[in-house]
Amino acid sequence: MRALCAAVFYALLLLAAPVEAQSVVVIVNPASGVQSLTRYQAVDIFLGRYRKLPTGLAALPIDLSPSTPDRTRFYSLLVHKSPAEMSSYWARLVFSGQATPPFQAPDARTAVDLVATNPNAIAYVDPSAVDRRVKVVLELTP
Amino acid sequence: MNSPPNEWRRWLRANLTGSIVVRTTLSILALSLLLGFTFAAIVSAGVERHERQRAALHLRELLATVASTAQIACYLSDATLGAEIAHGLMSNRTVAGVRIQAGDVTLYQEGRVAEATGPDAAERVVSQAVYSPFGPPTPVGRISLYVADERVGEQAHDYSTNAALLLTAQALLVAAGVALAVFMFVTKPIRSVSIELHKTRLRSGERLRVPPRNEFDEIGQLVVDVNVLICDLNALLSSERDLRLKHEVNERKLRLIFDKAETGLFVVASDGTIQSSNPAFARLLGRPLATWSPSGVRLPDLLEGHRDSVMAMIRDSLASGRGADVDLELVLRESQPPIWVEMSLNPISANLLQGVIDDISERKRGEINALELATHDSLTGLLNRHGFQASLKAVFSRPAPDSLPPIALLQIDLDHFKAVNDTYGHEAGDQVLRHVARVLERALRQGDVIGRLGGDEFTAALLGISSPAKAEELARRIIADIRRPIDIGAGKAARIGASIGVALATPDDPDAESVLRRADEAMYAAKRAGRGQVCVGGLPPRGPLERRG
Repeated sequence: MRALCAAVFYALLLLAAPVEAQSVVVIVNPASGVQSLTRYQAVDIFLGRYRKLPTGLAALPIDLSPSTPDRTRFYSLLVHKSPAEMSSYWARLVFSGQATPPFQAPDARTAVDLVATNPNAIAYVDPSAVDRRVKVVLELTP
Repeated sequence: MNSPPNEWRRWLRANLTGSIVVRTTLSILALSLLLGFTFAAIVSAGVERHERQRAALHLRELLATVASTAQIACYLSDATLGAEIAHGLMSNRTVAGVRIQAGDVTLYQEGRVAEATGPDAAERVVSQAVYSPFGPPTPVGRISLYVADERVGEQAHDYSTNAALLLTAQALLVAAGVALAVFMFVTKPIRSVSIELHKTRLRSGERLRVPPRNEFDEIGQLVVDVNVLICDLNALLSSERDLRLKHEVNERKLRLIFDKAETGLFVVASDGTIQSSNPAFARLLGRPLATWSPSGVRLPDLLEGHRDSVMAMIRDSLASGRGADVDLELVLRESQPPIWVEMSLNPISANLLQGVIDDISERKRGEINALELATHDSLTGLLNRHGFQASLKAVFSRPAPDSLPPIALLQIDLDHFKAVNDTYGHEAGDQVLRHVARVLERALRQGDVIGRLGGDEFTAALLGISSPAKAEELARRIIADIRRPIDIGAGKAARIGASIGVALATPDDPDAESVLRRADEAMYAAKRAGRGQVCVGGLPPRGPLERRG
């Protein structure tokens, strides 16, 4: 009986581990020269306040398709906003015509490819999608 | 010459003092308006400030509604979005101006945005920091709303006006209500009571009606009390009327008694003047009734002959406070016999006396007759034994023995009188006795006392005679007179004689009896000496020696 309880406990621990690991990373082109990014620098870039990288390069933020769970997770971790709130935010800015929402990539692979080929690009992906062509400058964990 | 203000004032006074309703209503109205305006003034002073605060609160709420958009506008320094916000805010009339700053730069401003100064600056501008919509609360800008002062003033004025209008209306309604209430609950019942009281006649037994619905309140109590008062007053009036009637009857009775009484009634003052008198008084004193008036007449003048004694009586009675009685003999007219009156005086005040006067002539005459009968011999008219002894006693009872006048006593005894009686009868005897009495009266002087002491025995006291010889001579003359034939009617004559004993009173005589005894003894001695004799008695016995004859 005791052995059974221990077995169930460890099983639960194993199940919990992947959930804990659900972080999102912000990636840039290594040529951009950016070594790391603060959370707020990320916010300013992705929410349209500044379109510049800390190094002075123009920033090209790449968003994921609204249907992807990564996008939901990213904004939730970054600014604690739901996809609907984000839509509302951008809707107001579309109206004024001054700020524009970031370019949208259909999936993580496309996003990584865009970053790998464009030094201005900056995107967020699941850590599993990162390869050597891009550089992780910020990791957002729950 | 009445100037309009005077007329107006008179009208006001008449209405103010003439009607409780008008007075109360005007008072309440004045008070309500005064209070209303006071409150309105107090309120309007605070109302602008209050309106300003309200406006500030309103603007704060407006800011809250645009907060999230403003955050985004400031965050992104989006002037278009800022203008959009400002347009929206400016559509509110309370907003005079809007300024949106992103960092230190003015992003957008519209309307009046002059910086406010003064103590209420905080209420004229509502300013709020704008924070980043993302991440930690980093200030990214500032949004300021400027209050539209004219709008606030307008609202305050509207509010004050409304309040004033409401208070005035309330004052008018309250005054009208009070007027109605006063009229219904106070004036109307009081007026009905007043009208009834005005119509009520005392003594009619009427009672005031309590106005309906006032049975148990103050007005009802008032009416009940007034009724009690009327009742008491009626009782008082009727008892007073009864008393007055009784008094009148009594007075008439007394007046009748006073006028019709046979007794003379009068009031006399201390100086003797008559104050009032009844008809009987005038009649009694022989004054003509028609012309009688007591004023100025003095009582002593009416009682002629008793002037001094009457005045003394008045004085004494007033001094002692006791009544006094006196019998007075009055000669009213020379031609008429005197009358006797009994007068009594009783003090009735410090200087007035009530007098009662009665004619007692009848009684007095009766008294005199009785006295006459008691002391006189009815046959001869001379004193009887009792009367004689009383008279003699009066002479002897003088205070000092030395003042005793010389007295000679004659004891006269008739001789042969029994024979006359036996021969001619008692009628003749009586005639003889009467004859002897006349003889004695003729022989003696005025002032001498003569009595028939019994049967045929006479006694005479001769005053002023001190000589035995003179007395003896007088006695002999009497004997001589008696010896003459006495006419006894029917042509017949009786012959009698007399024996007389004489005794002279001396200072040694203790009383009249002593002298009488000696005269008696002398008379017997004369009888013994053979009738028709006079015998003079000796001196009163001294010591044991007794002398006779």
